[in-house]
Amino acid sequence: MSNLNYAIEVNNLTKVYGRPGSGVLAVDHINFAVRQGEVFGFLGPNGAGKTTTQRMLTTLLEPTEGRIVIFGHDLAREAYPVKRQMGLVPEESNVYTELTAWDNLMFTAQLYRVPRAERAERAQQLLEIFGLWEKRDVKVENFSKGMRRRLSIAMAIIHRPPLLFLDEPTPGLDVQSARAIRDLIRQLNAEGTTIFLTTHQIEEANQLCDRVAIINHGRIAAIDTPERLKATFRRVQSVEVALEPPEGFEPSGGWGEALTALPGVTTAVKWGDKWRLYTEDPSALLPQVTDYARANELKVISLSTLGPSLEDVFLELTGQQVGTVRHEIQNDRPRRRGMKGQMGGRR
Amino acid sequence: MKGGWRQRLQDELAQAWVVIVKDMKVHYLRPGMIMFGFMMPFFMFFSFSVRREMGAAQGVARLLALTTFFTAAAAGPFIIPLERRLGTYDRLLAAPMSLLTLLLGKASVGALFAIGVSIFSLLVGVLAFGATIAQPWLLVAGVILGSFSFSALGLIFGSIPTRNPGDVQMPSTLLRWGLLFISGTFIPLTEMAPAARTVAYLSPLTYAQDLMNYAVLGVGLLNPWLDLLVLLVSGVLFMVPPVWMHQRARRLGY
Repeated sequence: MSNLNYAIEVNNLTKVYGRPGSGVLAVDHINFAVRQGEVFGFLGPNGAGKTTTQRMLTTLLEPTEGRIVIFGHDLAREAYPVKRQMGLVPEESNVYTELTAWDNLMFTAQLYRVPRAERAERAQQLLEIFGLWEKRDVKVENFSKGMRRRLSIAMAIIHRPPLLFLDEPTPGLDVQSARAIRDLIRQLNAEGTTIFLTTHQIEEANQLCDRVAIINHGRIAAIDTPERLKATFRRVQSVEVALEPPEGFEPSGGWGEALTALPGVTTAVKWGDKWRLYTEDPSALLPQVTDYARANELKVISLSTLGPSLEDVFLELTGQQVGTVRHEIQNDRPRRRGMKGQMGGRR
Repeated sequence: MKGGWRQRLQDELAQAWVVIVKDMKVHYLRPGMIMFGFMMPFFMFFSFSVRREMGAAQGVARLLALTTFFTAAAAGPFIIPLERRLGTYDRLLAAPMSLLTLLLGKASVGALFAIGVSIFSLLVGVLAFGATIAQPWLLVAGVILGSFSFSALGLIFGSIPTRNPGDVQMPSTLLRWGLLFISGTFIPLTEMAPAARTVAYLSPLTYAQDLMNYAVLGVGLLNPWLDLLVLLVSGVLFMVPPVWMHQRARRLGY
C-alpha cells in the first residue's frame, strides 16, 4: 500500500547486470522512501550502486526484483504518468550541442507536451534565471561546462516536474557555477520540488539534504538526517591542533606515534599543517594536548574540537576507516605555519 | 488519464514528430550528411552503369532504388550509439512517450531524408535526362514504403547496445553491400540463375527495385502490389527487433 506523503517508495529493489544467476549484483534489495518536498541525498563511493538505483527510478533500467512507487504509481505498470512528473539531470550534461540554447529548451518543452502558449514564456524565464538569456541563439557547442550544466538543469525543469533527479550536479564546475546550482536546488526545493540528489560530494549533501542515504556495495548502510548521522558516530569526534616545535625537535618514533600515544586518542591523522586527533571525548583530550605541548616546549598555533563530519560518517559506513593514511605519514613533522585554513568548511 | 487514449495517441504522434525534427536538425541537415546522402547514390549509379547501354528511364529506376536504399539507412545505425555515448539518448528514453513512438520517430526521420533525396534524384532524371514516369502514384508509394522499410532495417543495427558507432558500422555495411549485390539492382532478376533469384527474393531491395522498374518503365517482373505488400510488411517486421533489443538492454542493463 503506497503512502501519498511519499514521492518515492522503494521496496526490495535489486539490480543484476546480465542474466540473473550469472550477472553482476549492483543493487541488493534496498528499501527507502523519499518524502514529498524533501531534498534526499544518495551518497556512496564509485561503483556503490548510486547511478544504477537512479536509472531504475527514472525507468532507464528495469529492476531485476523489487518495486518502485512514485507519487502513488507503480513504476512497472504506470510509467507514463510518472515520467511526466519527473525531471532528470544526468551526470553528463546531455544537451544537443548542435542546437542553440533556445532550441534545446523548445525541444524539451515539446517533448514533455508543455502547452504551446507557455513554452516561450517558460523558456525565457529559465534562460534569464540561469543567466543564459543573452546566449539563447548561440549554439551550445560554444558553451562552457558550467553553462551546459545550467542549460541541462533548465531542460529538466521546463515542464515544472514535482520530482527532480540530479546526478552529480556540480563536479568539475568552477566555484561560482557550483554555488549557483546549489542555490537553484534550494530555490526549487523551496517552491515544493522534491529533489533526489545522487552525489559523492559529501559537503554538498551536508549543505543541501534534509536526509541522506549512504549506499555501499549495493546496500543501504544508513539513512538519516546529516546531523543525526554525525551524532551516531561519536568515535569520529576529533581535536585539531597545529603545533610549532622548536628548531631541531623531533619526537622519538615520529609525530604520529607521539600524538597517538596521548590518552584517549584512537587515531592521529596529519591534516595539512595540522594534526587531527580522533577521540570519543574531545574535552578530556584538550588538556592532554596542552600538557604535551608545554612539556615539549611546543607552541600551540591553533587548537579546536571538531564533531564528526558527514565525510567521517561516510568513510566509517563505507568501511574506509578514518585515519587509514596514518602510517604513511607518521614521521612527518608539523609545518611551522602558513597552511592553516586551507581545509576550511569541514565542520 | 486526462483525455484518454485519443489524447495519448495525439501526444505520442506529436512526440514522434518532435523527435523527427530534432534528428533532422541535429544529424541529417549537416553538410557532411547532405553531401553523403546526395552524392553516394550517384556515385554508386555511375560506378555500375558506365559502359552499359541503358536508357534514361531505366537509369532513373535504378537510381531511385539505390537512393532509397542507401540514404534511408545511411545515418540511422549510427545515431543511436552516438546519442548513447553523448547521454542524449537517455533524455529520449526518460521522456513520457512509448518506446515504439521513439523508434517510429527514428525510423521516420531516415525515411524522410531518403524521400527528400529521392525527389532530388527524380528531378535530375526527369529534367536532365528526359526520363518519363509510367506510374507516378506507384512511384510515390514505392519511395515512401521503401524508404521506411530500409530505414527500419538500419534501426536494427542502431539498436545494438553499444556506445560506439564503430561497433555498428561493420555489420551494417556488410549487410547493405550484401543486399545490394543479391537484389537485382545491377543484375536484372531475369538474368539471374534460379538459385541466385531465390536468394534475391529474400531481400526487400529486390521488391523496391522491381517496383521502381514498374513505376518508371511500366514493366516489372513481379506484381507491383506484391512489391508494395512486401515493402509494407518488411517495414513493420523490421520494427520488431529494435523494440525487442531495447527492452532486452533495459532488462539486462547493457
